[in-house]
Amino acid sequence: MRKRISALGLIGVAALVLAGCAPAADETAEEATTSASATAEAVDPVTLTMWSWRTEDVEKYNTIFDVYEAANPGVTVEFEAFLNTEYNQLLATGLEGSDGPDLAMVRAYGGVQALIEAGQLLPIDGLVDTSSVEQSLLAAATGRTDGSLYGVPFATQTLQMFYNKGIFDELGVTEPTTWDEFIALNEAIDAGGYTPMALGAKDSWMLPIFHEIVGAARYGGPEFRDELLAGTSDFTDADYVASIQIVNDMTEYMVDDVIGVAYADSQIQFTAGTAAQFPGGSFELGNFTTQAPDMELGVYLVPTPPNSVSDKPLAAGWADGSFAINAKGENQEAALNLLNWLATEEFGQLFVDEVKQFSAIKGLTYTDPVMKEMNELFASGPTAYINLVDMRYGDPSGSTLIGEGIQSMFLGDMNATGVSTKLQDGVATWFTPGA
Amino acid sequence: MKTENKPRQHGKMPILIGVSFVIPALMLFSVFILYPLTTALSYSFFSWKGTLRGDFTGLANYVTVFTKAPFDEALPNAFSHNLLLFAGAMVFQNSIGLALAVVLHKIGRVKRLFQTLFTLPYLVSPLVVGYLWSLMLSPLFGPVNATLRQIGLGEFAQPWLGDPTTAIWAIVFITAWQWIGFPMLLYGAALGGIPEEISEAAEIDGASGQKKFRLVTFPLLLPALGTVSILTFIGAMESFPIPYAVGGSTGSPAGATDVMALLFYRTAFESGDVGSIGTSSALAMLLFLFIFGVAVALRTSLARAERKLYD
Amino acid sequence: MRKFSILKAPKHVLLWIYALVSLSPLVIMVMNSFRTTQQMATDPLGLPEGINFGSYQKAWITASFETYFLNSMFVTITSVFIGTAVSLMAAYVFARSKRRVFAILEGLFLSGLLLPVFLAILPIFYLFDALGLISNLWGLIAVYSALSIPFSSFILAAFFRQLPIDLEEAARIDGAGYFRTFFSILLPLVRPAIATVVVFRFVPIWNDFFYPLMLMRDRAAYTLPVGLTRFFGEYQTDWATLFAGLTITTIPLVILFLVASKQLVSGLTAGMSK
Repeated sequence: MRKRISALGLIGVAALVLAGCAPAADETAEEATTSASATAEAVDPVTLTMWSWRTEDVEKYNTIFDVYEAANPGVTVEFEAFLNTEYNQLLATGLEGSDGPDLAMVRAYGGVQALIEAGQLLPIDGLVDTSSVEQSLLAAATGRTDGSLYGVPFATQTLQMFYNKGIFDELGVTEPTTWDEFIALNEAIDAGGYTPMALGAKDSWMLPIFHEIVGAARYGGPEFRDELLAGTSDFTDADYVASIQIVNDMTEYMVDDVIGVAYADSQIQFTAGTAAQFPGGSFELGNFTTQAPDMELGVYLVPTPPNSVSDKPLAAGWADGSFAINAKGENQEAALNLLNWLATEEFGQLFVDEVKQFSAIKGLTYTDPVMKEMNELFASGPTAYINLVDMRYGDPSGSTLIGEGIQSMFLGDMNATGVSTKLQDGVATWFTPGA
Repeated sequence: MKTENKPRQHGKMPILIGVSFVIPALMLFSVFILYPLTTALSYSFFSWKGTLRGDFTGLANYVTVFTKAPFDEALPNAFSHNLLLFAGAMVFQNSIGLALAVVLHKIGRVKRLFQTLFTLPYLVSPLVVGYLWSLMLSPLFGPVNATLRQIGLGEFAQPWLGDPTTAIWAIVFITAWQWIGFPMLLYGAALGGIPEEISEAAEIDGASGQKKFRLVTFPLLLPALGTVSILTFIGAMESFPIPYAVGGSTGSPAGATDVMALLFYRTAFESGDVGSIGTSSALAMLLFLFIFGVAVALRTSLARAERKLYD
Repeated sequence: MRKFSILKAPKHVLLWIYALVSLSPLVIMVMNSFRTTQQMATDPLGLPEGINFGSYQKAWITASFETYFLNSMFVTITSVFIGTAVSLMAAYVFARSKRRVFAILEGLFLSGLLLPVFLAILPIFYLFDALGLISNLWGLIAVYSALSIPFSSFILAAFFRQLPIDLEEAARIDGAGYFRTFFSILLPLVRPAIATVVVFRFVPIWNDFFYPLMLMRDRAAYTLPVGLTRFFGEYQTDWATLFAGLTITTIPLVILFLVASKQLVSGLTAGMSK
């Protein structure tokens, strides 16, 4: 009698977890019921370990996983985070060893290919229902050589211009809608004694980000990307070069010697209130709200520069990581259950509410006003952050090349054409369009 | 053993005694250093897919490292910076370290205080040395530029870490800041080992101050100098924590602070290329061969110089 | 001798100026440990508003620093002891024997300094995995002891070579064996070298975060520096707790150095008197 009840209980739990999932999951449900009635035992307690580089989010994920654990009695999820800079090495060795995690956060696009080609991740085609995920983001977890899916993207980032509403009010300026207004705005801020834009040019990875924020519309965002990937255009395209030139022109509105300003310094400029605007990614939101809780934040997209290919302002975005399963893990069934849950709206909403970043899941509600606005801005003019999304599948990576190039440009050693040539020549060593 | 009771000639230590003294170190070394070292270097002869080893490819990775972008430019660039770091360290770190050792040798009671103060930087974790110095040298918030402006030397206030010409010297300076205790203490110990009688005898003979240093002290310090130089060379060629913390893994700005270890690090861990273990271990092997060769050459020539002095 | 006091003045001034340079980053570190990350975000170099031990509490209690501290102590002291002991013995042979095989061995040991750490971690990891040493502090001790050998044997051999051979020959004539000579006569004479080697091995082992991060996956086996890495986020760093943790981490090193430097001085005087 007891055995029958526990078998029913297991079916009930499985049904709860897999409710609302697409056909593919029914197989797992069937498996669970058949194995349950076959073994006729209670659920063995299972501990799933998940590794990540998000040391700042550990408590938040524990809260999120409490929800999953409540719905799946017997399952405990242990979330562990490690130093971001050594994480890749840690994970690669961990997945090889005997004591690896069951699931792990993995880097997106080019960053995950090494793990995939070494066979360390479980291909999840057909095993996980990804219908709730923004489909264009699945590329972040897809193997480049075999085209299989290996993970569920969990976060997206978008690029935009943050600004300090208090300073804007003080100077009597508002968000610009045209390029001329944008220039006038920066001039007014400069005249008002504040630094118009804070940029950490010493840390080269910020530079391609800045380039997308001010230049994406100029080179034509999505249209250019299609041509680039098809091979009908490349980075030496005149519009792309012009977009790089804009970056150089903008240094007028930054501190002198911006090349010596570190990323951390530029964040301080903004949080301390000496700079009025911060061109950056949505990942800055957490930092700004913690360090300057009294500042009223605003965001806008930089208007289209003259001669732009795009007729509207663009916001670049990308998937920032995925959840994947260890191919050598022992608890793969339980891990798949969890992974399926991580592809649901329920998780997506929890993620948004707790971690306060954009989720890769579609159709979620953002209550934080700044996040809501960033989301709307992105929806109004989405484009991909090309140098990260497409240009990190080989060495040298696009983002490194353009970052170094822009640094040389700031130092006066290279012009915009030189930068784009450097970028094109570098990626041409491994990138073949039309793939 | 009966042989222990007979007086032995210099250098004729029985092989069994010698081996028994060396065995513990040799065992530890073989398992935990020699084996990983040879294994890691052997990676360079294969192709890789992540951590999965592929076919034997002979010297293919080496060819890549010398001819393909980004290595064809990055390798000589980084290598030249390492040599510069070595020269800078010899001039600033070791000379000043020697000067400090000499000054402190005679200074009496405050010697230990200064020794401690000058060695304290070595105690700071590499995790934050870069951050602390980035802050110190920041053109916006740093006290260095602020002080320069205060004392009227405002024109000298640069973006130290952002200007390619000053950035690499900033690294030389920060490295010296952290490591000056090492030559200072080593030379101090060596100076202390010079018997008082020799020192006094030289003074009685009329040599004092600079002359005494040049003719008596310096030659006696030669072995210590040799030791310090070799270790400085190895340290400069392998320099990693400070360039990484100050210029990031790409050697900002624009590769001006790139060093071999950074090139290796970003090839191994930040490259989108799945075969990067092969190329990065080829880099490691090249670096190893170069350092090993030079270190051995340095040691043999120093040993020869020492023998000449003492014969 | 009166000449000296006038000449001393500029020397002292220069020494103090450099001491200021030496100390300033450390002073910043300690000052910031008494502030909040928010304060640092608005005013990076401001003075602390009163002594606030909040971050220290957070580091010690919330971040399990007590465990990490004990682990660090255990691992570092044991590694330095073993590393120095085996290196001393090897260095003695390198200095005193003219046999070619030992010269080669000395060069081989030196080449250990060239171990490409980030690369060699792969074979070391697999070795540990096979030996079951992952998350076992003795594994760390073994690696650190081995890593100490190149530097320590090199320095100690150099110092041994500096010692005049007469003492040992006198001892041998008196009938002492090699082991006795080594322990009773030579060891006391190289005390300054031992102190130097101990300091320059203790500090990097104590501060190392890479090996424990890669090899100690179980949090109970973490050392202090790994504990510190948990304050580094991908985009945000908890600077206040980090600096408090760092100050806690640095204090034992300062104590060690003060003790060792006393040894250095006394060792020197002992070596000179004959």
